[in-house]
Amino acid sequence: MPGRGRCPDCGSTELVEDSHYSQSQLVCSDCGCVVTEGVLTTTFSDEGNLREVTYSRSTGENEQVSRSQQRGLRRVRDLCRVLQLPPTFEDTAVAYYQQAYRHAGIRAARLQKKEVLVGCCVLITCRQHNWPLTMGAICTLLYADLDVFSSTYMQIVKLLELDVPSLCLAELVKTYCSSFKLFQASPSVPAKYVEDKEKMLSRTLQLVELASETWLVTGRHPLPVITAATFLAWQSLQPAYRLSCSLARFCKLANVDLPYPASSRLQELLAVLLRMAEHLAWLRVLRLDKRSVVKHIGDLLQHRHSLVRSAFRDAAAEVETLEKEPPGQGEGEVGNNSLGLLQGKRPASPALLLPPCMLKPPKRTCPAPPVSTVSGDEDISDSEIEQYLRTPQEVRDFQRAQAARQAATSVANPP
Amino acid sequence: MDQNNSLPPYAQGLASPQGAMTPGIPIFSPMMPYGTGLTPQPIQSTNSLSILEEQQRQQQQQQQQQQQQQQQQQQHQAVAAAAVQQSTSQQAASQQATQGTSGQAPQLFHSQTLTTAPLPGTTPLYPSPVTPMTPITPATPASESSGIVPQLQNIVSTVNLGCKLDLKTIALRARNAEYNPKRFAAVIMRIREPRTTALIFSSGKMVCTGAKSEEQSRLAARKYARVVQKLGFPAKFLDFKIQNMVGSCDVKFPIRLEGLVLTHQQFSSYEPELFPGLIYRMIKPRIVLLIFVSGKVVLTGAKVRAEIYEAFENIYPILKGFRKTT
Repeated sequence: MPGRGRCPDCGSTELVEDSHYSQSQLVCSDCGCVVTEGVLTTTFSDEGNLREVTYSRSTGENEQVSRSQQRGLRRVRDLCRVLQLPPTFEDTAVAYYQQAYRHAGIRAARLQKKEVLVGCCVLITCRQHNWPLTMGAICTLLYADLDVFSSTYMQIVKLLELDVPSLCLAELVKTYCSSFKLFQASPSVPAKYVEDKEKMLSRTLQLVELASETWLVTGRHPLPVITAATFLAWQSLQPAYRLSCSLARFCKLANVDLPYPASSRLQELLAVLLRMAEHLAWLRVLRLDKRSVVKHIGDLLQHRHSLVRSAFRDAAAEVETLEKEPPGQGEGEVGNNSLGLLQGKRPASPALLLPPCMLKPPKRTCPAPPVSTVSGDEDISDSEIEQYLRTPQEVRDFQRAQAARQAATSVANPP
Repeated sequence: MDQNNSLPPYAQGLASPQGAMTPGIPIFSPMMPYGTGLTPQPIQSTNSLSILEEQQRQQQQQQQQQQQQQQQQQQHQAVAAAAVQQSTSQQAASQQATQGTSGQAPQLFHSQTLTTAPLPGTTPLYPSPVTPMTPITPATPASESSGIVPQLQNIVSTVNLGCKLDLKTIALRARNAEYNPKRFAAVIMRIREPRTTALIFSSGKMVCTGAKSEEQSRLAARKYARVVQKLGFPAKFLDFKIQNMVGSCDVKFPIRLEGLVLTHQQFSSYEPELFPGLIYRMIKPRIVLLIFVSGKVVLTGAKVRAEIYEAFENIYPILKGFRKTT
């Protein structure tokens, strides 16, 4: 063949590629002289195309549904059935699970994560259809930790680039309230405690709306607020018999778990109602307290929009008016208000409508950090560094102490 | 659980987020005064930065300076620029160099405010590069700035000491070190001034956390390197880099997080069942903000201080929009 060189023996150009078994050789076709020969053995990189491909690197994964994926899909369907979701939800949740499984990070995740992923897909489906399902409920059903659930949930929402709407509060109120076992008389529920479902639902909804307007819901877990609102609604519908029942007892006989923050939400809600009561003419004279205000919740809710406007001033508008007013005028107003309080004729000056975390006094004053004039390239004095080094004596003491401790532990646990 | 009889219509749900860059702010304010540094100037890219990156860098540098100083400087330079445009390349180079050394804001070149056009009949030595119209950062006029400056709370930096280290020796001979190989494969060392903590690995790499400014972080890292040096290792100070900066501030009014997550869905994540704050992932600059109902904002993920300031200036008008409690 031309251009392949000449045979060193006879000088002909007729060189042929002729392998001897697995060894490639370049042979002169005239005299049979072997010009060059290949290596008998191959290197690792040579064998790149001949090596076995692991299953995870092959396309086999994309062609069949793996066993764990099948199990996961089955669990998604089971969970939808347990929660009694409409049939369309099942297909959506299954689709999300399959979509998630296409990502390598999910395929290689631990089984615990795949279990929790089942719950995440169902939760996302419910959220998108405004079906009120809380994360706590799913975690209870899956026997999963909320921390694991939350990390998987955030990861999957980011991975699939999903738009998940917030939990629908109104729907949650309806579902949660209906789960209270107070609508029929039973051995555990006395007759005076039984309540009409519709009345309780509507009043609870109004109370939750009021809480949401007065900053009691933002940033907090929604369920304890609803528990407190349900309790107040139930109490206010027949206060004469029900004022004596506590929140804990109420939850117990309604067969519902009492969430821990519910009692503080209850106090906050009562404080808001008391503020509103001071601006209602016929209630102002009654000098209500936390217990007696419950009897008048119906009236307060009826006029809640105007009462909230008069009882609370907008914090933002407040700041602006304060900036515009000359300070002398502001002081005069405050003086008038305090006089009014003493006389008992004028209502207390409107409180600032702020979330409870802004109303509490700051736990500790944070002084402004001193402006440091460090340049980063200053000289570092030796003495400053020496203070961080042990003296030889200290080193010896430390080593001795360590040895003694080792001896003690080895004696304590003989092999 | 009771079933709802009427199902609400299927929500959009599967839509992927819009590719919006920065939320909510008008992209270009046409009221931009002449003297805010958008005067054209021929750019010599002596380094390999693209025009866009150069503009970005310049814009960031600009935002840190006073607006008034800029106006004065740029008016002087606009006059100089017109004169220089017909000069030789060497003169233009020296002009550029003096500008750089004098520490003034370098000129941004923008086709929109091209005011110094070349005189007819003469060709400029440096043809005006036409920049694309994509906004880098919306420039907030001085009247709209919030007046609040985020405080830096934590700086994380890394440095390579350039030699293998024996962690046992370091833990033995240093007073301020702790080393528990079963728990974590690094020595944890602390110094008092600046109050920081360092993780020192056997490969010679070190992570320094807890400083309140970039200079403090650098000084602290140098002190740790000096300690390691005094312990007998040939430690150097290679590739010091700031990896993360965390800042915080208070806007002093409550924020309706539910409203914010509705209008800025593609950037926000608000799950009150999991965390009381709203997680806002800003795209330009790439910063994550934690926004709380009390008005406190935490900004993290920055590599330079300007990113934190810029992110806060971007989010402040959005938060002000949620001030009213209707």
